[in-house]
Amino acid sequence: MSSKDKIKVLYIDDEQNNLVSFKASFRFDYNVYIANNTDEAINHLRQNPDISVILSDQKMPDKTGVEFFEEIRKEFPNPVRILITGYADIESVINAINRGHVFRYIKKPWSEEDIRSSIDQAHKFYITTALLAIKNEELQKAYNELDKFAYSATHDMRGPILSVLGIIDLSKNTDDVAEIKSMLDMMENAMLRLDNYIQNLHDYYSIRRGEVEIEDIQFADLSKEVCDIYEVTSKMNNVKFDYIVNQTETFRSDDVSLKIILNNLLSNAFKYQQKSKADKLVNLNIEVIKGQAIIAVKDNGIGIHENNIGQIFNMFFRATNEEVGSGFGLYNVKDALGKLNGKIDVQSKPGEGTTFIVTIPSK
Amino acid sequence: MNTPLNFIVVDDSKLDCFIAEKIIKNTGRSETVNAFQQATDALVYIKTLPVTTTQTVVFVDIQMPVMNGFEFVEAFENLPEAIRQGYSIYMLSSSINENDIAKVKGYSSVKQFLNKPLTNNAISVVLEHFN
Repeated sequence: MSSKDKIKVLYIDDEQNNLVSFKASFRFDYNVYIANNTDEAINHLRQNPDISVILSDQKMPDKTGVEFFEEIRKEFPNPVRILITGYADIESVINAINRGHVFRYIKKPWSEEDIRSSIDQAHKFYITTALLAIKNEELQKAYNELDKFAYSATHDMRGPILSVLGIIDLSKNTDDVAEIKSMLDMMENAMLRLDNYIQNLHDYYSIRRGEVEIEDIQFADLSKEVCDIYEVTSKMNNVKFDYIVNQTETFRSDDVSLKIILNNLLSNAFKYQQKSKADKLVNLNIEVIKGQAIIAVKDNGIGIHENNIGQIFNMFFRATNEEVGSGFGLYNVKDALGKLNGKIDVQSKPGEGTTFIVTIPSK
Repeated sequence: MNTPLNFIVVDDSKLDCFIAEKIIKNTGRSETVNAFQQATDALVYIKTLPVTTTQTVVFVDIQMPVMNGFEFVEAFENLPEAIRQGYSIYMLSSSINENDIAKVKGYSSVKQFLNKPLTNNAISVVLEHFN
């Protein structure tokens, strides 16, 4: 076992001899930290947040082991606490155990086996508790998203359907062909909106549940595939579109996640333009340098108000109703970046435009 | 004789505004119909409009970006009484969320919660209160 994988144990005792002999006995099995007073012990804990087991002598001059455990419990709730004590203190030990300050006690004089089995069990307990806390947090997050999802599903999925039903109802009362045709256009738009929502939903689940598949990425090919679609949008909406890819080194990442990121950022850049502006533009710049891909998507569109910038990555948040959006896009971008250990920065000014800069390390 | 009414529609969906406008015009009761895709714009309109004796019926969607239906109603309830008394608010939603429906009942200025889409039947029931 390398020292990195060893269980980190802190032992606190006012008698220097005990500390020395403890370290001598266990330094091969554990990563041992020793302290001969409580201040020193707290220092160790602050510097090594992954210490999983603390053993403390009960009888110390400045405070008892139980008092020490009580005191540090708030700041360091995770390490498992073991008390070492003689028979004389049995009352305080029982108290401490009952009040939950101490996981186990070892009686003096200790045997190596006692210590070893206690540390191993304490560490197991530590791991289980820590895992449980992580799982609980994940579960809570999943529940929250499910709530939000159920709420949005009725709005974003039912919304377009109800609109179309409304139009159908109206069209029954008219014989004007031109009017019916314009109603058909409206129905088409509503269905496109629903389809877009469902595609975003699909992206969401491919990021969420899908495994990341790491492969060599040629950004020239990947961006061509994505950008071909936007060349059409560019012509249709009269938005100048340039993209530059600069990749001279190998880059390894997940193709699907990268496409979701690019697609959403470009789609937003084209969507949130200032309609009346003459020189509308979208720039994409991809650079792979020193094991990192830096993707910059820049537009001179409507921009984002500074009050909203903090919220744009939240699920279902929408900063504007200028355009149709699901409130899913940037959330998916952030989720995908989480899987690739990437990060995203935004610079934006209302009326001037927005630049998203994504940095992703090669895997 | 049915008195004419003013109508305001607040919905971020252009399509739903269109539907509501059509349905309203079909009733033959509308003196004016104004649709807003931004709740903030509707609020400005209400604030700046001279007070008339004609009652105004407002249909407002719940889920909208920037200012949602609830926020709109809260802002409306802060307007002076002289303005407010000319308005009757109905909240519309595609939501089947119980919380939303319960929340609507908490606003004294909101007359009723209506399901989307607005239909000829639903609006004629609403307008019975304005004879």
